[in-house]
Amino acid sequence: MSVNAPPITATDSLSQALKANIIPNQEYLLQGSVLDSAVEVLLHRLRGLCDNVDAGPETFDDQEVCFSLRDPNQQAAPLMLRVRKALDARDMPFQLRYIGQPDLGDKNRPTVVRSSLDIACSGMLIEFLNELGCRIEFEYSVKGYMFRKGRMKITVAKVFKISQSSMPPEPISQSYLVELSVLAPQGQDAIGEDMRAFADQLRPLVQLDKIDYKRLGHMSPA
Amino acid sequence: MGVTVLQQYPVPENKTGTYVIDLLTKRILALGATQAGQFLVDCESYLSHPTMGSTKTVHILHNSEQPASVFSILESGTKNIHVIADGLFDLLMMKLSQHYTSKKQTKIESKGPKFELGDFCIKLGSVTMNQNFKGILIEVEYRPCVMANAVWGLLREFLQGILGSTISVQPPQHLLSRMNEIYTPIDTIYQYLEHFSAYRKITGLRSA
Repeated sequence: MSVNAPPITATDSLSQALKANIIPNQEYLLQGSVLDSAVEVLLHRLRGLCDNVDAGPETFDDQEVCFSLRDPNQQAAPLMLRVRKALDARDMPFQLRYIGQPDLGDKNRPTVVRSSLDIACSGMLIEFLNELGCRIEFEYSVKGYMFRKGRMKITVAKVFKISQSSMPPEPISQSYLVELSVLAPQGQDAIGEDMRAFADQLRPLVQLDKIDYKRLGHMSPA
Repeated sequence: MGVTVLQQYPVPENKTGTYVIDLLTKRILALGATQAGQFLVDCESYLSHPTMGSTKTVHILHNSEQPASVFSILESGTKNIHVIADGLFDLLMMKLSQHYTSKKQTKIESKGPKFELGDFCIKLGSVTMNQNFKGILIEVEYRPCVMANAVWGLLREFLQGILGSTISVQPPQHLLSRMNEIYTPIDTIYQYLEHFSAYRKITGLRSA
């Protein structure tokens, strides 16, 4: 391209990326949990299986706020937006996430698939979302370890209530949440098989599965 | 990234936009500037759904100088709140299409040649809304300095030099309260939004 060629518009480059299917907008997900007393064993196992083991497991400590935006026509389910902020690295940008309805598929599908948009944001994101018309649904903090295995991300983390006072945050349960996920462009279903194979290697320490929130009753169905 | 001032340049009644851009290009090249490619700043605005209460506008802007960023300014009453996000924010706006609808006919952009002259960077932008020519915006950046107060005098003198003494050069409204702050790319975006909003209000066609 010559130096003086007009720059490509943002709309054009986005539609090119969409056409080439390079935008990672699908999340493949398996979830499970492990009791506090058994977490050490799982961490040891992951240390043996994963890529980033030289420097020890990577830790994280995030706060997540979940917002909902009601459908103006009252027909569709509210749109959920999540904002994550690293509490241990305060100068990092916010992570804004849109997560669509999870698709569990039939029993032959190895993982949950849900559409997902992961956007790094700086600026006044919380105020922005409030003014946009979003309402805070709930918030929590999550603290734990992150592992990588190829394209897969494995987190082992504990979920805490947000404490209003200076008291230490209170865990919501006596267990750790374990998540195995990959963000990929549409149609890369082969990754689901890899994830299932990896999950099988973690048995019986933790059983990673397709979790149906509707059946758990944690989220009201649309 | 230095301090940038955006200035409107009037197009005389009997002249076209292209003619004025050519004239300014010659003037800048005569000063010893070199052309350094092209630039583009665009803006699309979205209005909230009527059932969502008071009307809010989300302006989405892109600047070819920061090609990996999307600038979003939410205008609600007298307050402006901005967020700087990565390119996927555009996709999120599509997800919000039930709540915020794009006013396609007001999509506006400024594009044209970019020049370098010593520590200055000059951009001559033709503003078009929906392919209709609206006017000319000149952007001048002084790159070694990041505080408007320290460099305003120099920028004014420089602008006056290329624009001629008939044009009054005032500090942009947006910068007035931020003269002693560190200048960042969003400050340029606010200036573009100010001018774009003014252009949108002007009806009538100009010849490009």
